[in-house]
Order: sequence, then C-alpha cells, then structure tokens
Amino acid sequence: MTKLVRVIDMQRCMGCRACIAACHVENHFTPGAPWNVMLEHEVGTYPNVRTVFATMNCMHCEDPPCKTVCDTIKVYAISKNELGVVLIDYDKCIGCKYCYAVCPYGVPQYNEKLSNLYPGKQATPYENINNDQRHPTHRKKAGVVEKCTFCWHKLEKAVAAGKTERIGKDQEYTPSCDLVCPVNARLFGDLEDSDGPVARYIGKKKATQLKKEYGTRPQVYYVTEGGDY
Amino acid sequence: MRISRRDFLKSASAMGAIAALGLKLPIIATAAGRAKRNAAATISRYFKSTCAHCVNFCGINVKMENDVIRAIYPDSARAEYYNVGICPKGVSGLFNTYNPYRIKAPLKRTNPKKGLDQDPGWVEISWDEAFSTIADKLKKIKQDDPRKLIWQHGHGKYLIGDKFPKAFCKAFGTPNLVHRTTVCEAARHVADELTWGYHGFLPDIEHCNLLLNFGANYFEGEQWARWLDHSTTDARERGMKVVVIEPRMSHCAAKADEWIPIRPGKDVLLILGMAKVLIEKDLIDKAFLIHYTNAPVLIGKEGRVLRNKDKLPLVWDSTTKTARPFSKEVMPALTGRYTIDGKTCRPAFQVYVDSLKHISPAYVEKHAGIPASTVQRLAIELGQQAKIGASVIMDGHRLRYRPVAVHTFRGLAAKEFGVQNWRAGLILQMLLGNIDAVGGINLHSVYKKPKYFKASKVEYPPKRIDLQESVYFPHATHNVAQQVLLTMADTRKYGLDYTPEMQIFYATNRPFSTADANKQFTGLKKTYNVVIDIVLSETAEFADIVLPDLTYLESWHLSPTRYTPATKHTAIRQPVANAYKLPHDGYSILWELAKRLGMRDDYIKQINKKWKLKKYPFKTGQDYTARQAVEHLWLEKTKGKKDFAYAVKHGFVGKKLSSKDTYLKGVEAKFKGPDKPKMNFYAEQLLESMNKVKDTVKQHRIRDIDLDKYAVAFSPLPNEEHGFPTPHREAASYPFYLITYKRMYRNQSGNTALNPILNQALGPDTNENFVLINRSTAKDKRIKEGDTLVIATRLGKVNAKAKLTEGIRPDTVAVSYHYGQQSIDFPDSARKGTWINSVLEYHPDVVSGMTSYNDSKCKVYKA
Repeated sequence: MTKLVRVIDMQRCMGCRACIAACHVENHFTPGAPWNVMLEHEVGTYPNVRTVFATMNCMHCEDPPCKTVCDTIKVYAISKNELGVVLIDYDKCIGCKYCYAVCPYGVPQYNEKLSNLYPGKQATPYENINNDQRHPTHRKKAGVVEKCTFCWHKLEKAVAAGKTERIGKDQEYTPSCDLVCPVNARLFGDLEDSDGPVARYIGKKKATQLKKEYGTRPQVYYVTEGGDY
Repeated sequence: MRISRRDFLKSASAMGAIAALGLKLPIIATAAGRAKRNAAATISRYFKSTCAHCVNFCGINVKMENDVIRAIYPDSARAEYYNVGICPKGVSGLFNTYNPYRIKAPLKRTNPKKGLDQDPGWVEISWDEAFSTIADKLKKIKQDDPRKLIWQHGHGKYLIGDKFPKAFCKAFGTPNLVHRTTVCEAARHVADELTWGYHGFLPDIEHCNLLLNFGANYFEGEQWARWLDHSTTDARERGMKVVVIEPRMSHCAAKADEWIPIRPGKDVLLILGMAKVLIEKDLIDKAFLIHYTNAPVLIGKEGRVLRNKDKLPLVWDSTTKTARPFSKEVMPALTGRYTIDGKTCRPAFQVYVDSLKHISPAYVEKHAGIPASTVQRLAIELGQQAKIGASVIMDGHRLRYRPVAVHTFRGLAAKEFGVQNWRAGLILQMLLGNIDAVGGINLHSVYKKPKYFKASKVEYPPKRIDLQESVYFPHATHNVAQQVLLTMADTRKYGLDYTPEMQIFYATNRPFSTADANKQFTGLKKTYNVVIDIVLSETAEFADIVLPDLTYLESWHLSPTRYTPATKHTAIRQPVANAYKLPHDGYSILWELAKRLGMRDDYIKQINKKWKLKKYPFKTGQDYTARQAVEHLWLEKTKGKKDFAYAVKHGFVGKKLSSKDTYLKGVEAKFKGPDKPKMNFYAEQLLESMNKVKDTVKQHRIRDIDLDKYAVAFSPLPNEEHGFPTPHREAASYPFYLITYKRMYRNQSGNTALNPILNQALGPDTNENFVLINRSTAKDKRIKEGDTLVIATRLGKVNAKAKLTEGIRPDTVAVSYHYGQQSIDFPDSARKGTWINSVLEYHPDVVSGMTSYNDSKCKVYKA
C-alpha cells in the first residue's frame, strides 16, 4: 500500500513561512481561509527564552473526524482516497461547518466570500485562470469549507503519469509547501516504503503525530523540540 | 500474480487495468482520468531563472501554465551551490509582476508642489514624450556641467547590474552615481578593507564548531541568508554550537544554543572584554599575529608606526634586541616597551593590551548588561574551541584548523562606530588565528586593492554630491547613499562648486529607507526628478516624470550570484511574462537615452570597459537588445565554454572550489611571513587620514566637522569609546534604547507592501509592524498587547502598536524598519504600520559613511 505522509521538522524550521506562501500561491489563496498557518510561541522567560515555530496544515488523518461527521449527516462531501488524501468536494459541501467544529487541529476553513486579491482592482492574470482550467480543488466557492489537499492536483498527475514513485521527489508531483523550505525542514513521501526517506526520517528523528489522544491517526508527523503544541 | 498497490500505480496504464483486476480505486481513478484531460487543456512550462527580490539571488524554477505565471519553486540544481529553498517573497514573487498597482505608462507630474501630502496630479504621457523631455534636460546639463546629473540606484543595481549605469554616467560625464551600501552594511566592508585590503567574508560553516553571531539575521533576510540558513542548520545537527548576541531575539537567536541579549551599541565592549580574557588566559594564536598581521610593528609617539629609512615598518627582534624590519632572521616581539634613539615605543599588540586596561568582564557587565561570568565563559570557550596550533590535511595540504567563527552583518555595522565595531571583531579573530583557517572565517579576494591600506585622499572640495572619500567621509568607498539628499538641501555648506539639477532614481526608495527620513525629502524638492520603478514609491511621489520598469520576471540580466567558501556560480535572469505589455526596462531606457543624447558609442565603449569585455565586446555603431547584451556578458563570463542556449535552459553554471582555492589563496598567499604586507591589526592609515582631516578643516575653515568626534572614530584600534554613540551620551532623559530590524516579509522599496500573499496569507501579523517591548517593562508601564504607544526620540514621535515579548531586553524596544509606507498612491492596506525611520537619529559613521540605525534612544508611553 501507499501511504503518503508529510514530516515537519520543527527543530530545523526557522519560521520563515515560505511553506505558507507556497501553499497559498499554489492553491489560489482565499483571503480569510488559509490552508497552512504558522503558529509561533515563546517558551521561557527573559533571558532564557526561545521561539517555537510550528506550521500547521491538514493532517489527512487515517480516521478523519471531519469525514465522519460529514458522513453522519449524510452530506458525503469529504472523502479519503487510496493514497490517504482527505479532500472536500465543494459541490457537495453545504457549509454547515461541522467539520470545522470537530477537527482537533482547526484545519477546515470556511470560505465566507470570494474576493479579488486586490480589492477594488481588476483581477490579475493569475486570478483570471478560468474554472475549466483549474483543478476542482482550486474552483473556489463561497459558502463552503476548504482546506489543504496535500496538493492533490499534483499527486493525481503523478498517478495519471504512472509516476507515483516520483512523489516527494519531482516538483510537479510534490506538494508545494514541501518544495520551497530553505532549510529542508519538510519531507513528503510514501511511509510504506520502509527504505524511503520519510520512513527513515521519522525513525531517526523520532517524529510523532500531534494530539494522538484524539485517535485520528494523522498522516503528518512532527519532529518536535519542546514547548507546547 | 502478486502486485503491490505502489507498483501498480507506477504503471501509466494502471487505470485501464483497474476493472480487470477488480481493485476499487474509484477516487483515484476518476481523478487521474480528469488529470489526463486537464493536462491536455493546460500547457505547462518551466523556466530557470534567478530571483531578484533581495540580494541573495536564489535560483528559481518558474512554472507557467498557459502563459500565466502559476508558481515559483527553487531551482533544485542550485541547491549544491547556494539556495536549497526560497523565502516567502520569492515564492510569491509573481505578485511583484501581477500587481494592479504597477506603473503601466510613463507619468508626468502636473502639480509642481512636492511633498508626501501632495497629489502629484499624474497624467499619462507617451514614451516618446517622456524620452524627449528627459533627453532635452539631459542635453542641457551635459553641455553646461554634466556633474549636475545624479544617478541613484539601490535595487536597480541587481536588476540590470551597476555597470550599465556606471558606463552611462561615465559617458555622460557625471561622477554622481550612488548606490545604497551605506544604508545596508558598508561599515563592515570598510573595516574589512582597512584591515585586509578588500571586503566580504563568510564563516566556514562546514567545518566550524562554534559560531558567534553578532546580530546577523540569516534566518530572516540579508546577504547570504539563503545559504547560511541551511548550512548553519545542518552544522547544528552535527554539533556546531551557535551563540547569538543581540538585544532582540531574532529567528536566529530563537533557534540558537544560546541567546545573549546585549545592550544596544555595546557589542564592541563585549568583544574587547573577551579579547582581554583571551589574552589573560593566553588563549591566543601568537604565531598568526606575528606572521600574518602587523601586531608586532612598533608604535611610537602619536601612534605612528616606526619605519626605517626605506619606509619599512620596524619590529622588535627578540633575538638581537634591536628594531628591524621583519625578515626570516627576525623573531618579532608582540609585547614589551622599548627605547629607540631615546624614544619609547611598543609593539601594536602591546598598545592594544594597554588600551584594554579599563576593560574587564565586570566592566562589560556594567555597560553591556551581560553577566561578567558569561563574558568570561564565552571567551574561554571561544579560545579553547579554536584549537590554537591545530592543523588538518585536506587534499594533501596541511591547513590551519580553527573551528570557531565570528559573524555579523548589520549587527555590528549599522552603528555610528560601525567600522570600529567590526574592526574589533576582526582583531578578536586575529587573536584566535581563525582567519582563512579551516572552520574559521573565509575572506573574499584578500588584498585585491592595496590602496585600502593607504590613507584617504580626504578630498576637498568634494567632487561628488554624496561626499564620498571627502573630508566628511574619508574612507567611504561604497558611496554615501543617504548623504545625497542632505547635501542637495544645502550644497554650499559642503563646499561643492556646483549644484545638481536633475536626479534619476532607478529602483530605489532611498529617502524612505534611511534614518531621519523626513529630512531626506527636502533635498528631493530641489531637483528635476525622474524615477524608474514598478510602483509609485515615496520617492516616485517626488518625481517629475516616472518611467515604468519591467519586473525581474519580465526582463533579462546577467544576474549577480553569491559565492560560498566552496562554490561559485554564474547565472542569468530571463523574462517569462510581460503583464502590462511594457516596452522598456532599466537597460533599454538607458540605451534609448544614450542614443537620444548622441553618446551611444561612448556608452558602448564604457560598457566594454566596465564589464571588462575582451572576447565578446559590444561593437560601436549598433544597438543591442537586453537579451543580446546578456548573451555577450554570459559568454564573456563563462569564457565561451557554455553557449547561451545552455544559460536559457539551465539558468546557471556552477563550480566547486578546491581546498587550495578556499584556504590557500587568501591570507596564506598574501600576508604570511616576512617581506609581505600584513593584515592591519593596527590601522595606522586611519591616523594618517585623521591628520589630513585636521589639516583640511583648518585650511578651508570648515565649520561643521567636529574634530574631537572624528578623532574618536578614526582610532587605529577599537576602544571603549566606540561603545557610546552620540545618543547614548547625550539623550540621558530618554530611557529606552531603540533598535530596528528586518522581517522576512518586506523590503523597503514598496512593492512587497502590495503583495497579497505576504500581507494577507502569511498570518495576521505581517501586514503591519509593531513595537516589541519586554513583558516585564510593559507590566511596569501598564501596557497591554495591542496598545498604541508613542515612541519619542529627540527627532520626533511616532505611534506604534505594542507587541509584548520575552524576547527583548527590558531596556530596549524594537521596530522593524520597512512598514508605514507613505505613498498616497498605495492603498490603505499597504500603508499600515510604523515608519520608524522618520524618528531615528542620524549619526553616520564618519569613517565609512554608514547610516546608524541602532543608536537612538527614546521614551515609550501609551498614546
């Protein structure tokens, strides 16, 4: 089986937010509904203080509570596919925000309204890319919930091209946030590949999942460095 | 048949086989089918280029979909030479191009009154009218006195290179081309030049075990940041210790092994204190001091170096007990007092030791706010980790091994005594002997310009509007960016025998970006101004004509690059779009002006000189497009080994250096041993320059030079006075130290303020700045998070939003210096924050011309 996971090494992260910028450029940022955020907090008191930087995106849980609740109310807008990616179908989403309420990681974001990136100005060529030329995850709609897709539009290209082994390696098949990190604090790949970089990194650096007590079994692992999360 | 899901998915025909095998992959199958259909509808292309958001020049891979810039990724091929990733500015760089606030046509001012509160009354004009108007004015100036033209660039240097503007100015006849280095790190460069004959250094991170970082902020943004970030992170994982010394906990300090919150401006005191401990503990590399530096030269009366009749410096030979020039037979003494011809003298090292007599860890604790025990511990750790005397063998070469390095950027440079602060850092490293050693600091182009070892010409009257290398700033070898508009306000005051009439600003927002910024704008009102830029910055608001430029994603350039101790590379930038169908960039604007001025061939000759084009020169009598120009430059730079098609496809070519290149071509080749020049442990040329300043002031009855202040700045050795900049001595009733810093998400030129990703998507804290204040201080003053505070300096007041933190000294407040845009052509969302530069006191380093950004004192209270 293929199980795609992300590893975020907080010991290496320098808090630059390039991953956040990359996510939002790649996925047609909706103002007010970020898919990737940076949590910064100080640990200690002056002068014995440091900052913890934690980037947070969808955990693509193996047992995603967002999907459970969505299925429970028979909306079925949330799916988890065979590569482990949790996706929201905007056409099915009714904007009830139950997923928003149950996610322990605060991931789902409600798209209040569609607006130009430059209010009061004409849309840029980037914003003017027609819906029919956009991936369904980028056909933004007001009144629905959206979130990180592991850059599914790239992953499915890898599948279509029969190049799933290049996921996590080639830029066109790898989530953008994982491509741009200046300090190599992020990895993406197949956890089932026991000799692969992701599996080895998790073992070597003792990466763990956040909020395991919720039983969601996230597919995002963190190399933590102390402090609260 | 056994087939894993993973193997199965590798097959391009997998989807067709799904049904046959009975596997259920409905979601993926549907998606993959859609992906194939979409792939047919979307044409994706990638272009290798170079980012030009800042001075790191990261390799980028630009993704286009159907002729729209869709994303920017790092160029993975560049990782082994420089950048592994790119910063948020680079990632979101497409909004530098797709920005509706771009200038889309030449603009002419209709309101003659200039001011930040004035609407210029822009009207669009044709390119022909714009060029004609500018060329007519330039023709008159060229005929009358070409010095009356000033060309200023900042970021423009990196968009088309400074050699085209330099060639233009030379052909035109003006000496007044001014770059920005004195609002960046010029004092560090000048300290380097005075000490070892050129500028630029990097810690040898791959082999370093202890890095002392004085306020360099490579995790956020400055030169070499995109190499230092990953290389220091890797080094920490293998055990390198990082100690960051700065008043505010930057991201570097936040990730360091130790943060030492020093009181602003007192770095030099800590360095001197550590030097004292190292000397007392005998943790110094005497062999290095003797064989590579002028620490043994004898210093006589009035601080001058003793020389023989052939002008060779004398040292005290411990063998013969005589004063002689350094030679193979001579064993120079580092310490002692000697009498020659009845006059006492001491080796420079002894002079330094004597100068430290008041310095102690307790003294540092009192003035710099660092516990004496920390000073002692840090110095001893530094001395022990330096492994003085050790060597390693690399590629058959026995090399000095000193795995400790002191690094800085603006931390030690952006100060009133910036040169002396970094001189102190260099001397500390001479004591350790880590210069050009494996694991130490690696110098760039050692002794490339021997003239830096000589006194300044101390020019008067100044030839240049920025007073470079004049009596005002004798060793300002990197222009004096912020001085231009101050001189313009009153040219006679500075003795200029001409008054400039026209300024052309290329991609710079200088007046907005320097200390005492409001004063800068006065000088802008006195000239006819042309601004070439992509947005209407504050500088553009004072223009008479504005010309729109192409962005870095729309234009060609032989891009600058950043070498590392072990690599170097050559790169290009290439256009991938032209969002507003603009016909010109800085390069073609210069070319057109040269043609209209009838000086194209002179310009071409100067281009060949400035770029040193030998094999692939530009030919007179013909025009060159930007692409053609870059092709010539690429071929010259790569010696024709890689054709231009290679550049267009790959964007760069890199080279790995040998250990000989890295470690043996610097101080080993230039300074080691007798009969060679020596690194200036003792910078005698500063004394010589000071004497010239005195003579010039007297001769010309110059009134506005305070010779006592100059004498402090021009000391041949750093000393405790350099820890007390003017506001620290004078502004006693202003209890807080005020410092500035750079955040990752902005630069000062204005365009980043208009980037929706940087200002909306990265988090709620990036679209404005704030004043950082220590929590305990805030509690004492009943200040809460988000309160509006007044920051009052002796110059004036600004309001700022409070951000409470444990990451700053209780006696210090900090505000980042690139927010609070004033341009009335920017939307309110881009004008948020505090323009702290407007209240920073201006006390330039009179040696280098460097602006002081971190010396002010202030009062802080609730609005």
